[in-house]
Amino acid sequence: MNKFLLSILLLSIFPTVCAFAGVRHFTFLYEAPTSAPGSVELENTITWAHGANWNDVFIREELEIGITERLQLGIYPLDWSHHSDSGLQYNGGAVELIYNLSNPVIDPVGISLYEEISAARQHFESESKLIAQKNFGRWILDYNATLEAEWEEKGLEEQTGEFQQALGASYEISPRLSVGLEFLHEFVFPDWRDEEKIRNVFIGPNVSYRRHEWFVTVTALAQATDTTDEPDFQLRTIFGIGF
Amino acid sequence: MKKLVIVSLILVGCETANYAPPVTLVMAKATSRAKQDVDVVKLERGRNLFVHRCIECHTLPTIWHYTPKDWTEIVNSMAHRASLKPAERDAVIAYILAVRKQM
Repeated sequence: MNKFLLSILLLSIFPTVCAFAGVRHFTFLYEAPTSAPGSVELENTITWAHGANWNDVFIREELEIGITERLQLGIYPLDWSHHSDSGLQYNGGAVELIYNLSNPVIDPVGISLYEEISAARQHFESESKLIAQKNFGRWILDYNATLEAEWEEKGLEEQTGEFQQALGASYEISPRLSVGLEFLHEFVFPDWRDEEKIRNVFIGPNVSYRRHEWFVTVTALAQATDTTDEPDFQLRTIFGIGF
Repeated sequence: MKKLVIVSLILVGCETANYAPPVTLVMAKATSRAKQDVDVVKLERGRNLFVHRCIECHTLPTIWHYTPKDWTEIVNSMAHRASLKPAERDAVIAYILAVRKQM
């Protein structure tokens, strides 16, 4: 618990010593541009998921660091959640790397590759993404293809695979304000089998506002399918501050 | 399908030309007549930084949208946010002004 409090304290004072990475126009999708080398940003993500008789809250803190012109490192020291049935739980930490291959303005498509590894007690997860983005004037079109592999429970015996496609469009009303849409299509494979044919679709609007060294982006997603275990409604906010 | 691909390529081409035109020898020569320290390498570097750093926060405005004086002020005011060092900031301004001169 002392380590937890110390981490919060360190993350709180970090803004006073460090420099800005980038703005997120979407909250459920990643964008192709990577942070400038030497830039540092703190991103706080809060997701509220509402189901039939339950409410879950997920909180993630990310430290985003630009390593080179094309490589970005993300460190998630704090990843915790609150569930209606089991209460507060710490979900461990994670590390991500994003490598940019092409630019969404001057190349036909902006492509980046993403890999995230997260680990906790009785939990290990790998998340790989292909990020494709194209900027058309004030429009940003974004596509993410994600493959997740998760091992849980004692001996990491429970395995789940998930493939997700996400599509987003954002329109910049002014350099400070954007509005858009996000669409998620999930294919869940318990034990890496597709016998249950679990498909989830979520869709909803987003809004992003930035000013000086900070930004806030909010997305509200509603489930368009009828999967009872999945949330009917999700609200995600990302607040980022650079230094 | 073939038509769709052709139309898409044209759109992509127009888009790039409008927001970040490639550096040309004519552009570099026209600029270097006025300023001795501007060359193709510096303009290329400026374009590269312009299309990478600025889109981290917002889409690119069309270059003709602002006057040369406005552009200098805009880039100076955002240089810290875009983590641009003084030489990088100068390269971005040189590129924008070189493109602006061709318009």
